[in-house]
Amino acid sequence: MNSSLLLGQNVIVQGITGAHGSFHTAAMRAAGTNVIAGTSPNKAGQFVDGVPVYNSIAAIKKDFSIDCSVIFVPAPFAKTALLEAVTEQIPLIVCITEGIPIHDMLEVTHKARQNNCVLVGPNCPGILIPGEQKLGIIPTHLGMPGTVGIVSRSGTLTYETAAGLTERNIGQAYIIGIGGDRIHGVGFTDCLALFEDDPRVSSIVLIGEIGGKSELEAATFIKQKVTKPVYAYIVGRHAPSGVQLGHAGAILSSDTESAKAKTIALAHAGAQTFTSITELVKTIK
Amino acid sequence: MKLLEYEAKAILKKHHLPLPKGTIIQKGITPEFPLPAVIKSQVPVGGRGKAGGIIVVSKSTDIIPTIDTLFQLTIKNHTPRVLLAEEVIPIKNELYLALLIDRDVQEIQLLAHKQGGMEVEANHEGFLRLPLTKASLPECSKKLAAFFNCNVKLLTPLLKSMFTALVTSDATLIEINPLIATPNGVLICGDCKMEIDNAALYRHPELKNHENPDSNFVRLDKNGTVATIANGAGLAMATVDAVAGIGMKPANFLDIGGGATTNSVLGAFEKIMEFPRIEAIIVNIFAGITRCDEIARAIIEAKQAIPHLPPLFIRLAGTNFEEAVAILTQHDIPTLSTLEECVAAVKGVVHE
Repeated sequence: MNSSLLLGQNVIVQGITGAHGSFHTAAMRAAGTNVIAGTSPNKAGQFVDGVPVYNSIAAIKKDFSIDCSVIFVPAPFAKTALLEAVTEQIPLIVCITEGIPIHDMLEVTHKARQNNCVLVGPNCPGILIPGEQKLGIIPTHLGMPGTVGIVSRSGTLTYETAAGLTERNIGQAYIIGIGGDRIHGVGFTDCLALFEDDPRVSSIVLIGEIGGKSELEAATFIKQKVTKPVYAYIVGRHAPSGVQLGHAGAILSSDTESAKAKTIALAHAGAQTFTSITELVKTIK
Repeated sequence: MKLLEYEAKAILKKHHLPLPKGTIIQKGITPEFPLPAVIKSQVPVGGRGKAGGIIVVSKSTDIIPTIDTLFQLTIKNHTPRVLLAEEVIPIKNELYLALLIDRDVQEIQLLAHKQGGMEVEANHEGFLRLPLTKASLPECSKKLAAFFNCNVKLLTPLLKSMFTALVTSDATLIEINPLIATPNGVLICGDCKMEIDNAALYRHPELKNHENPDSNFVRLDKNGTVATIANGAGLAMATVDAVAGIGMKPANFLDIGGGATTNSVLGAFEKIMEFPRIEAIIVNIFAGITRCDEIARAIIEAKQAIPHLPPLFIRLAGTNFEEAVAILTQHDIPTLSTLEECVAAVKGVVHE
């Protein structure tokens, strides 16, 4: 994953005629994203916010080349939509949909890897590159152009962080929500590599939570590869064991997946760790 | 969602996996079953055997007293609604076999151990782990047969059925422990734990009557003194953390979700009124898609609709924040600007 992939010019929206799809198509265009077309079964020929609707990605490809698809298709139909995007080899796929069955995602992530598609999400707010690109639902006004790279599993905590920084006049180069599901595409280490390699990024914010091992992998990566300052916050310090808290992925199944263990691992790797967003936001320079 | 043993076994049976002959016992109805039999409490927790929830019955006069005992026995806060009576299977040795989804490598994984039974979780060593796909089934069956030192002709159909059961039931875990090897050289699924993906329940109408825990509202402490309402799983966890971090007892985790409306906020207030010792309620909203003014109106409605509502400590930020503050100020409801200010203020009113 690199910046040119995220800044791809021709963006389509799958599920463009739905309530979320149409609302956020307009918001993305207002934020400067070049939405060229959308898909919706049986609604070809219509327009959403001036954007033409097609029956399929294959039909769009007859008129345009496609760099990215943002998916708002409801969960029961999301697998079909994702596989369509993967089969059509869309380089970047951002899936906002929440509640996609885990076996569906196993199949999708497997095929996405085979076809060299980069998948962000699902169950995520997407990507905001303030002033340049919006792929998803992160409210545009929360960000401002700058040099902080934010990566997070949580939507609202992403918003909190971006808004807190913007209020302090500290801008962001990337705001990326990787999503709260157990099986998802791009992870922390992909984003850390992006931030480390991009000279426009000067500091990094990582927001993780209980469940899974991705923050531990991030800690290893930070120790080995990251030279820029990392500010980290792990939520769920007081989560009970074995109970899902909101996100499908936020379930504590062993001590190594706890907020404390992850915080310690990140601190050992050289990240500065915090117990609240307020403190984290205050500390970043 | 965790299934009970008898529900899990019904799924295994559908997929032709070898099981003990069993009979379900409901309260007040004692069906006939052959003796000896093992009668098992159907509760969704491990350690039933140690807790006295599994009893072997050999005499017909013992059946009724055993059933009564088991129906009255609470195991880790769960009392059974159903018991399962099964034939007693002769044991040569007990094995462990599980299929699960490994989130970190994004694969289905086979996990096996030669010593099944009650203590397997304590063993950190001696596990066979294999990534499992439809294509790798024959090869994995061979490896597993060698590992278990049993006939591959026995294991191939068993593993295939288990894999099909996992995929078609949208299960995230099927754990067979013990997998009993009998003196006759047969394998039988002694006990089964199964977890179904909550996100896939819409395509499993056969499970729609199952009590499904709500992951957006989680009871943490029935004696908790501080209730929390937030939007987004991350923010809701952060709110619980802040309350506990300052030494107070959070009663609940509650994520009202993105795009919260007046009705969803009212519903949230109603849910937290079930906690008897609540002395303060923290409302922590960061509005992206949600609109703060809508939350503010819902708070005012809740205050009017619910008598004896404990004091509210409200932190709102994001979309339409100014309108919300104006609405709340009109009704003399103060707002705070950070979560930390909320918990500090709550600390001042809660008696520990």
